[in-house]
Amino acid sequence: MLERYKLNQSRADGTLVWLEIEHTPDGTPCLADVSKEILGRVRQLDNSRVFGVIFGHIELKPLYPEIFSYGVETLYEVHERRMVRFQPEAYAEALAQIAVRIEPAAILMGATPRGRELAPRTAALLDTGLTADCTGLQVKDRDLLMTRPAFGGNLLATIQCTTYPQMATVRPGTFPLPAPEPGREGTVIYWQYCGQAWKDIVSSESVVAAADDDICKAKVLVALGAGVKKTSLPVAESVARKLGGMVCCSRKLVEKGWFPASRQVGQSGRSVAPDLYLAFGISGSVQHLAGIASAKRIVSVNTDPEARIGEVADEIVVGDADAILKELDKIL
Amino acid sequence: MRFVVAVKQVPDTTLIKVDENGSLIRQGVPAILDPYAEHALETALAVKRPGDIITVVTMGPPQAAETLRRCLEIGADEAFLLSDQAFAGADVHATARTLAVFVKRFAPDAGLVLCGKQAADGDTGEVPAELAAQLQVPQFCYVTELSRADSGFTVVQDYGDEIRTCRVPAVAVLSVAEGDLNRRLPSIQRFLDAQKIPITTLGRVDLMLGTFSVGLRGSRTKIVSTQTVRTERTGRVTDGTDPVKAALFLKEVL
Repeated sequence: MLERYKLNQSRADGTLVWLEIEHTPDGTPCLADVSKEILGRVRQLDNSRVFGVIFGHIELKPLYPEIFSYGVETLYEVHERRMVRFQPEAYAEALAQIAVRIEPAAILMGATPRGRELAPRTAALLDTGLTADCTGLQVKDRDLLMTRPAFGGNLLATIQCTTYPQMATVRPGTFPLPAPEPGREGTVIYWQYCGQAWKDIVSSESVVAAADDDICKAKVLVALGAGVKKTSLPVAESVARKLGGMVCCSRKLVEKGWFPASRQVGQSGRSVAPDLYLAFGISGSVQHLAGIASAKRIVSVNTDPEARIGEVADEIVVGDADAILKELDKIL
Repeated sequence: MRFVVAVKQVPDTTLIKVDENGSLIRQGVPAILDPYAEHALETALAVKRPGDIITVVTMGPPQAAETLRRCLEIGADEAFLLSDQAFAGADVHATARTLAVFVKRFAPDAGLVLCGKQAADGDTGEVPAELAAQLQVPQFCYVTELSRADSGFTVVQDYGDEIRTCRVPAVAVLSVAEGDLNRRLPSIQRFLDAQKIPITTLGRVDLMLGTFSVGLRGSRTKIVSTQTVRTERTGRVTDGTDPVKAALFLKEVL
């Protein structure tokens, strides 16, 4: 009997996406690109329902048309003034309550710092599986097949959650930005959060990365790795300025404290897609290579001809990075 | 007050090499204490007061005891190794569950539980938040500063686009992004004392966990298939022993 009526199977259906809200320097909220990318991918996959969840207050109202234009059919707005700021505990509780109500087959969010904090907490509350940092999404019936690079990138693992809802965080930049379809309509449902899991925030200052300070948007990147000396840092800055680009680095240099984490390229840093990626003294750990997969042209300068970055580089110069950097600065 | 620091032993990723098929050669790669876990331990040491106890715990194979010994040398007071065949293949959920049960049974008086922001080999950084939820305590991720006053702890968190200062309740889980590694002076005495501290090994039965709560069977995700990504060298190799010529060449190709 159970087999016939499929009563022992979950009825979970549809996809729930946490729509991350970013704030522009003047405080206007806007939808994060990664959320749009996820919505675009979800629409491609199948025709099941798409639910969105946003947290905030009245300032979110102007965003509704945009959210619907990317394919959200039912939008849950957790309406609470204190939720304008990110509150992981309260967000996770509300998200879990909504998930229990609508029984989605999948919950997706971007693998941003906030998404990576919210997703595991929600997964624990729902007692379900979570795949982090996906770079691919496929569906088989209702089941999500999530692809992610294992151990840096030379092994791609396809992972499935064994419980519903299936949860995944998606790496920003994995899927192309979809074109909005203006005129699409949807329903907004206000949700009241009654919990008390508030953080005691003393102060919060936004570090607005100016547009010219975002390595993801730079057309030319001069990348430094462990193979360069600290004295080469100003030289690299000068070269980057002359080429109209920016300086970025590998994880090693962030750990040494030479660069802020915002300049780090790689799996634990940023994924970049410049037209030209000039790598000095970067050996190319698998994690680093994962971050430059979308670069159009890669030129590597390294003393080791066998360095792994050679596998992806278009031009490999075998030589001393510090000396070449200095000469390059002179002739540019 | 008791601090619990959850650490991880990772292969030294900077030394990892690949063979001609593109698969990793894991043999002979030295295992080290995860850099972020070291930051977490230093953060706990920096706010430690006389009478406080720092407990380090790791989940891993018996060899992970070396990493715990290293933590004791740095300044931890006691060490637990969660090691069992049954723990193998644990995903985020099963790992967090094992750690949560450890904290509840063996360190119930724990105040702050500190983890690294992420591990060098997995890079996902999801265990701290899942651990916090399973312990039903608040979480503070990406901590760059932890300060202590008589009234309690304050953390500074770095979200990339926001720097946030929060008051921390008496019990919480912290994931540490940055600690001061150069604060401490090495001491022979501490090094020698550390060798005498026993490391307690706990298995599944000691934690009173069922076989379906841990490891592969306690996981909520499964790997369906894996495929190797092959990369081929297609780039042009140029000799750059003369920096002047190399720079000219670079200018040309840009």
